[in-house]
Amino acid sequence: MANRRYAFFPGCFLPVRLPHIENVARKVLPNVDVELVDVKGFTCCPEPVGFGIHDKLTWTSVAARNISVAEEQGLDIMTLCNGCSYTLKQANKALKDDSELRDKVNQVIDDTGHQFKGSVNVRHFMEVFKEDIGEKKLQEAVKKPLDGLKVATHTGCHIMSPREVMNFDNVYNPTVLDKMVEVLGATPVDYDLKILCCGWTLMNYGPPEASYNLLGDKFRSMKAGGADCCTVICPQCFYQFDMGQVMASRRTNPGFNMPVLFYLQLLGLSMGYTLEDMQYNMHRVKDKGLEEKIRGR
Amino acid sequence: MILQISYETCEEILKRYPKIETCLKCSLCSFKDGYGCYISNYGIGVDGAKFSDLDTYTYNVFGQQEPTKNPNLWLCVSCHRCHEICPYDVNPNEVVEALKAAAFETGHAPELIQGEIRNVLSTSYAFPIAQSQQTQRAKLGLPPLDKTGVDDLVKIARKTGLENRLAALEKKEGGN
Repeated sequence: MANRRYAFFPGCFLPVRLPHIENVARKVLPNVDVELVDVKGFTCCPEPVGFGIHDKLTWTSVAARNISVAEEQGLDIMTLCNGCSYTLKQANKALKDDSELRDKVNQVIDDTGHQFKGSVNVRHFMEVFKEDIGEKKLQEAVKKPLDGLKVATHTGCHIMSPREVMNFDNVYNPTVLDKMVEVLGATPVDYDLKILCCGWTLMNYGPPEASYNLLGDKFRSMKAGGADCCTVICPQCFYQFDMGQVMASRRTNPGFNMPVLFYLQLLGLSMGYTLEDMQYNMHRVKDKGLEEKIRGR
Repeated sequence: MILQISYETCEEILKRYPKIETCLKCSLCSFKDGYGCYISNYGIGVDGAKFSDLDTYTYNVFGQQEPTKNPNLWLCVSCHRCHEICPYDVNPNEVVEALKAAAFETGHAPELIQGEIRNVLSTSYAFPIAQSQQTQRAKLGLPPLDKTGVDDLVKIARKTGLENRLAALEKKEGGN
């Protein structure tokens, strides 16, 4: 089967703060015939919560320039981040739908030598798995199923809303990630606070105590559901559940001890990679029970 | 109608977002367990404000005399849950984003936000880059961080007026 080629859009958070997850992506994705093409010139998407709100024209123009960089290569964009997908998909749709906006933005980015044409799509890697690769192909790559592993899934907010643009999963009952966990042989657990946000902005802009309370409730709910670990598909959610958990656990005794794995790490483990290959040593939250279940297969 | 802000500002916001007037204060936007706004359930306002079903985050943001000076604006992550669940299609998220934009214009955005924009325009990344991160990437066999798009970002910021706006804010801060 020929490789599916995508312009790899690393974004900011992943390459700067979680390079080990980028390492995992580059290791694992070729095994499902996904070729990540490195394209020179991508910048911050730009980040939707901070940069995006101040100046929609600048936000849209920077996003348009990024999309045009991929257009020049004739490749769809693949992101590993809910936030990058949120920005680039919204901009792509708005610019494709509104010719007046497209002309205005093309005038803004004219000096950069790029022009938005509207010829490519923006895809989160989980969309690529769901729509391009398919469960069957993923299943074929599984060599050491994650039998007996119970996983709490956290899809995150920005890949699902606004739903008319993102069109990914049901905001109130997300099931895509659960199905993808099942494909690997693991069991997704049901838990009460499945759709509760990771609390990213409370950690950054609000009193951190509020964020610790949210994380505490979220992890207790995952534990009550019987989870050995949780899985995410967004770098910010990962950071909040890993590093944020360390911060939140300092105020509780005992801590929550809920390890988080990026979905691509779970996929890699099911392919036969070791925990070390999947950069588990870089995690702040580790759990012996999880390690034994993974190594004991 | 939940707006209690001064007449001029109120008129201006209502003109842009007339759906606000259909809000019946039903509190569904603060529905618990992730169905509604998580700030309403977990957030403690930066100014000490406590949010509840009767005094939701949405009401806090809309109910200010000087809405652009409200530090709680920045707690919103634009998750759109308030919009998803609202039976009257009010879309508070849209108004919060507009208020944030207005707050930036008048210099009331937190330093963190201005810093992030400056980072993007100087490195093309939203976060400061340290040599240790480049070293870590090299150890992991990853290519160095690509900064080749920075010049283009500066050109865009110049054309949209963002560069001038940042300079004006800097001057204002320097003068204080």
